[in-house]
Amino acid sequence: MSVELSQSGQVLTATGLSAGYDGRPIVQDVNIEATPGKVVSIVGPNGSGKSTLLKSLVGVVPVLGGTVSVGAKDITNMTPEKVAALGVGYVPQIDDVFPPLTVKENLEIGGYLLARRDVATRIEAVLEFFPRLKVMLTRKAGKLSGGERKMLAMGRVLMLSPSVLVLDEPTANLAPIVATQLLEEYIRGFADHGSTVLLVEQRAKAALRISDWTCVLGGGRVVLEGAPRDLEQDPVFVESFLGGGTARHQAP
Amino acid sequence: MSAVSVFMSSFGFGLMTAAVLAIATVGFTMQFAVTNVLNLAYGSVMINSAFVAYYFNARGMNAWVTLVFGMVTGAVVSWALNRFVFTPFQRRNLAPITVVIVALGVDLVGTFGLQAIVGGGYVSFRLAPGQEYHILGMFLSGMQLVILAICAVVLGMIHWLLKYTRLGKAMRATSANPNLARNSGVKTQMVISTTWLISGALCGLAGTVFAMNTGVFEATSAQLYIVMLLAAMFLGGPGEPYGAMFGALTIGLATEISAAYISPQYKEVVAFLALLGMLTFRPYGIFGSEKTN
Repeated sequence: MSVELSQSGQVLTATGLSAGYDGRPIVQDVNIEATPGKVVSIVGPNGSGKSTLLKSLVGVVPVLGGTVSVGAKDITNMTPEKVAALGVGYVPQIDDVFPPLTVKENLEIGGYLLARRDVATRIEAVLEFFPRLKVMLTRKAGKLSGGERKMLAMGRVLMLSPSVLVLDEPTANLAPIVATQLLEEYIRGFADHGSTVLLVEQRAKAALRISDWTCVLGGGRVVLEGAPRDLEQDPVFVESFLGGGTARHQAP
Repeated sequence: MSAVSVFMSSFGFGLMTAAVLAIATVGFTMQFAVTNVLNLAYGSVMINSAFVAYYFNARGMNAWVTLVFGMVTGAVVSWALNRFVFTPFQRRNLAPITVVIVALGVDLVGTFGLQAIVGGGYVSFRLAPGQEYHILGMFLSGMQLVILAICAVVLGMIHWLLKYTRLGKAMRATSANPNLARNSGVKTQMVISTTWLISGALCGLAGTVFAMNTGVFEATSAQLYIVMLLAAMFLGGPGEPYGAMFGALTIGLATEISAAYISPQYKEVVAFLALLGMLTFRPYGIFGSEKTN
């Protein structure tokens, strides 16, 4: 991976975080710390508040209690555009590209905060990382396949050289082989080059393979957390998320 | 008059109607695309802008120069409508129909408020129509050729804005996915305000050239124009600026050509039938897609 694609990470911290809609909390009293060079994953059943948690970190959903910070900066309830300017790149689970815009235009919007003269150079760097996008620059994002679309979504956030990547189910609706490549090659790669990665992932086994720390969310709260190797020994976790087997035993 | 002459003559009228309608519809659809407001008060802003331009023209200012006043009026009034009327209602998370009803109320207040101020009489710009040109069977005055040229330049500028500028791309991104635009660092509120200023300027320009092209006009002259706007917008695809240009051309030609063969009184009926047809068979328009609408 091109080393200049992402910056050295900053610590992303949520302390006693409660967040939700219309004053009603969906996630409650969540404590999470994601550190540079590490992948922190969040797993949990549908409706456990995983997406709401990520949205509250990046300013999309209001924080009702607790704090969120990036490095020493308090970003609690900061607007999404300000959060982006601080180097936090967010890829939502759905609606992760601008369908009527071309691939190149999507990347240009990703680099909206860059100086105009730097945008073209930055697009070149992102295309080196995702070479498949090179041949489809003039294609509308709405016409891309699931995998191509996800690459574009990742490419869009990389335009700003984020120090923190917040990824909401990046492998949703992807073929298994594409999902594995995305997780193990790209997302793990970001962390290996110093970025902070906070990942919500439905495929618990795959998430554990690339994670340094995993939190299990249930009913809007962190009900279990630990290093993947420890969670693999936890019978409740294994039963609930690994189908009775262990992550290490699964074929990639 | 031969059948070909009748057709080409009405085609010329249609071209003029389409030119004015294109400017108006592009602004109308931009407002809808970026802020999701179906601004039914658009016609009243058009005619109010035309009257401001007329005010300066009646006091001796060159009619073409007064276009600037029409545009500024349209821009300021539209921006203010969004800022002080539509946005507060949208923030209350009411059903979308609420804002439509509010816009309808604003339209009535704007139109009849204007009538209360200027009276019910017809007025016209002090503007010589100029030499008449006979082009491919169409009879077009010098004034109409200038309006066509203005339309071409304005639409070209809108194309350039949307396709090649940061602001234009940010407008399209905000239209497509406002949350993602914000996550990308786009200050969407500023983009939305700018969109209302630009689309409002188009509204004011359209209103003024509409009044010039019509010859004589009064406070309620644009009251039924909303039917033409809706027909043109839905034909091209709601929220699609290029679709709006196509829709305006089609509706403009269809209404004027039909007027030559049926009756001018049925122009809005033809537009309304086109609107019904599109809503029935392809509600997302020619340029829109089912997915994005």
